[in-house]
Amino acid sequence: MILWAGSILYLKRVVNQPTAVRAETDSAIEISCRGVWKVFGQHPHRVIDTLNERQSRQATLRSTGHVIAVRDASFEVRKGETFVVMGLSGSGKSTLVRCMCRLTEPTRGAIVIGDRDIVTLDEAELRQLRRRRMSMVFQHFGLFAHRRVIDNVAYGLEVQGMARRSRLARAQDMIELVGLSGWEQHYPNQLSGGMQQRVGLARALTVDPDILLFDEPFSALDPLIRRELRSELVKLQQTMHKTIVFITHDFAEALELGERIAIMRDGQFVQIGSPEQLITAPADDYVSAFTRDVSRLTVLTVSSIMRDCEQVGQAVSSDESGTVLPAGTRLADALPALVERETPVLVANHDNNVVGCVDRAALVEALVANTSARSPNGRAESPAT
Amino acid sequence: MSLLLQLFKETANRRLAVIGTGLAGLIAALFLAPSGDAATASFPESWNLGLRGAVDDFQSWVIDHRATHVLFARLFDPLSDAIEGTLILVEDFLLWQPWLLVIAAVSLVGYGLGGVGLVGVCAGGFLFMGVVGLWEASMKTLALMLVAVFITLAIGIPTGVLAARSDRTDRILRPILDAMQTVPAFVYLIPVLLFFGVARVPSVVATIIYALPPVIRLTNLGIRQVASDAVEAAQIFGSTKWQMLVKVQLPLALPSILTGINQAIMMALSIVVIAALIGAGGLGREVLLSLQRLQVGAGFEAGMCIVFLAIILDRLSGALGALVLRGRARSAERNTSWHGHDGGHEPAPSLIDRLVWAPADAVSALVARLGPGVELSPLRARLRRHAYAIDCAIVIVLFSAFDLVFPLGPFPEWLQVDFASPVDAMVQWMRDHLYRIGDLPIGTGPFSDFLTLHVLNPLRDFLRETLPWPAVVWGVMMLAWLAGGWRLAVGAGLGMVLPGLVGMWPQSMDTLSQVVIAVTVTVALAIPLGVAVARYRRFAVAMRPILDTLQTIPSFVYLVPVIMLFSVGRVPGLIASVLYAIVPGIKLTALGIKQVPSSAVEAARAFGATPWQRLTRVDIPLAMPTILLGVNQVIMMVLAMVVIAGLVGGAGLGLEVVTGLARNQTGRGVEAGLAIAALAIVLDRITQAWASAQTPQR
Repeated sequence: MILWAGSILYLKRVVNQPTAVRAETDSAIEISCRGVWKVFGQHPHRVIDTLNERQSRQATLRSTGHVIAVRDASFEVRKGETFVVMGLSGSGKSTLVRCMCRLTEPTRGAIVIGDRDIVTLDEAELRQLRRRRMSMVFQHFGLFAHRRVIDNVAYGLEVQGMARRSRLARAQDMIELVGLSGWEQHYPNQLSGGMQQRVGLARALTVDPDILLFDEPFSALDPLIRRELRSELVKLQQTMHKTIVFITHDFAEALELGERIAIMRDGQFVQIGSPEQLITAPADDYVSAFTRDVSRLTVLTVSSIMRDCEQVGQAVSSDESGTVLPAGTRLADALPALVERETPVLVANHDNNVVGCVDRAALVEALVANTSARSPNGRAESPAT
Repeated sequence: MSLLLQLFKETANRRLAVIGTGLAGLIAALFLAPSGDAATASFPESWNLGLRGAVDDFQSWVIDHRATHVLFARLFDPLSDAIEGTLILVEDFLLWQPWLLVIAAVSLVGYGLGGVGLVGVCAGGFLFMGVVGLWEASMKTLALMLVAVFITLAIGIPTGVLAARSDRTDRILRPILDAMQTVPAFVYLIPVLLFFGVARVPSVVATIIYALPPVIRLTNLGIRQVASDAVEAAQIFGSTKWQMLVKVQLPLALPSILTGINQAIMMALSIVVIAALIGAGGLGREVLLSLQRLQVGAGFEAGMCIVFLAIILDRLSGALGALVLRGRARSAERNTSWHGHDGGHEPAPSLIDRLVWAPADAVSALVARLGPGVELSPLRARLRRHAYAIDCAIVIVLFSAFDLVFPLGPFPEWLQVDFASPVDAMVQWMRDHLYRIGDLPIGTGPFSDFLTLHVLNPLRDFLRETLPWPAVVWGVMMLAWLAGGWRLAVGAGLGMVLPGLVGMWPQSMDTLSQVVIAVTVTVALAIPLGVAVARYRRFAVAMRPILDTLQTIPSFVYLVPVIMLFSVGRVPGLIASVLYAIVPGIKLTALGIKQVPSSAVEAARAFGATPWQRLTRVDIPLAMPTILLGVNQVIMMVLAMVVIAGLVGGAGLGLEVVTGLARNQTGRGVEAGLAIAALAIVLDRITQAWASAQTPQR
């Protein structure tokens, strides 16, 4: 039920804004993680050095007592992109995001933000980075219980030394942005969970960071509130264009928010790709287990099931009605057009050039794969970008 | 055979085996040592470390070099002078203030912090001090307290912050604090005296040492307990360490720190009285003198003053803590109600509001006119928030100005009431009628004699004379082994030998016998009472004020009513220690039983357990760890009290300390002090280990 409702919301969004297209546009790289490791224990380096490629996390824990939280993670996040890291609890996703702001020190690897490897920053530099460039929203909100909402929101500016009046004015704007006007003078414990996380969000936005890190921000909330906040975040992001790294254990949430999604398991990335890529070409059983219950109608676009027009065997001109589907159309939206005619329908790209055809058979094939296939029917790409 | 071995391997049986061997050894020792033969029973003289001479030599060295040595000239003397100076300043200030003003000021503070109820307590308590003619003594004690607590906080809070910051500091501090809290306050007096000379300064220093541990502990704890979320959020926004401390950690740790302050005040007050032994004046001296002269009436008056002071300071600091917590909610409520009026318009202020605000408004208007660039309305709003404090300050200033013109003078004679005479008469009556009722062997006198002759003496003699000293040490080591393993046993053994090494074996056994009996009585009373408190709501409601009051009374004061009834000797000390120590026993038993999960209780009920079965099979076993913590506290408090009872003929180690202090025989005092410390630490560690050994069995 929730999944379904989430999908509808998702649908609303993608109709306005085809994600797949935007993700492909080139833009500068904001964060680049290379070979990041985090091992908890007495001698983390020794464990990494002696680690066998195939040795599992459980085996390492058993033989050395060390926990490999993050194992050789490499990825890049583009400017203005929403990058979701999805995994079950204990998969190391939270540790990864904590490494990216050095709340946890990574054992190995480089995390380049802008042109600096933040792992090498000293305390003062790190403080400057945190003050100016990045901000974080926490799972359990992390609000200051002894400060009013407005002073919570203004905290980032306060530690930067901004004058009281101007920082409160800015905080007030952010409180209005997240819809909490009238609650400025309350203390956090007088607010509901959803409202508290709005405060957390406003607090993170107040310092106007380039990068926003979300560590399972909605997990502690009940489903209705979670959905509401999620869609508001989507709306905000449409105007803000922040670089977002979003951690979640909820695949529906990942699908709704993520332009690209990384699936994490036992500290390793299993697959990185757009929502469509994950569904049409899951890297392994683990990924397909998540995608299995997702309605393909609402995620897949016609471009992912279209074929070469010659293969379909019909002349392009044979379609009298002149119906042409844009490449970014979701299957659910293409349904009426496909169902009412026998003949294939043309698919066109941005510049109105025909790029392929879809017909009923292709549609049925895609949907059948959804319900029957435990094993993926597409090529299994290992971690792809 | 193999079966036997297997049985032997099981822990329970191994324990039994050890107890068996232990008992066998004990019996063998009894046989080997002909009873009453002092030569074998008592600790060998030749083993004495000769500490007494060394300490006395050190003392004379200190006396000789007091003026010249750099340690005194540069460290202790200036420190001493600074404390003395502050003390005189505060004392003079309090005594210079007209009495009515002090009462008014304390009542105003009480009203500000806790409302009308506190005004009654504050005004009533301070008035009592004047009424019984102890105004000056009370102000002296108050001054001593204020100075000592202020210095305690000035040292304790930063130290607590350091301990919270660094695990290493914490690790180093922990055993020191443990020892400071385990050792009865009495013991501090001697070394302090050595370094700071006789006067009021050593009492301040002893008070500070005694009151310091809770402040450090609770500051440390409070900061460490700040949710890691909040700390991480502060980090993410780029807080410096100082910003983190001041803007996040300290404010969030405030409730815990305030609890620490409250505890420090209570502990300071309890030792301020004991400190009279080394020259502190004030109420403590009054109590001490009356105890020594057996003037119960005067002791009662001074004791009541101390109790009032304790209750007032406890309630005031408690109200401050509650206010800090509630303040957050309350001010927010006020703001919501303003928002209710659409657009943030405030409701029209009432006449009372306007009156209360008037001085604040006047001040802000004045400042706004004088200071260029100051805006009126935000300043006024801010001052209005503190309108009450401003009003109080103005009232007090006006009052003292008035007093300068028309002096009020000292507390008037006509207001004073003599409580001492009726109390003395009552004591006399009790002596005449209760000490021995008619010709029957009933009454407090025979009771006291019976206790002394048939309980205290036999046990003391058994420990001191019948049992050879190795048997006692062995017995304690076996207990320690059962409670916490061989490491603890070795430690306990060393701890038990120490009193012998300093030549205090007989006195230690005397004290130990008193402790054993007092603890047995206390626990036997406390556990049923605790169960009753947990089980019966009405009983709990009735007990609460009694328990709270008992807990606020400084230990010393307990002796006053007890010697009314039982004269001097070991029995009054025993009874006072039972009264003093019973509160934590009751409270922790009740707590433990209340914390038993309801699912376990329901399961017991579902299986048809009778209330008695439920109590003995479910409630008490599950509550055991908490009850044992209570027993631990009972033992520590009994020991502290038994030692203090040396003042009223309690004999044992306490008497040694008192004599050492009185006759300026520092060596003797130090020896007795060490013996007390050793006993305290051994008893504490064994019961702690026992309590924690119970916990994992849940």
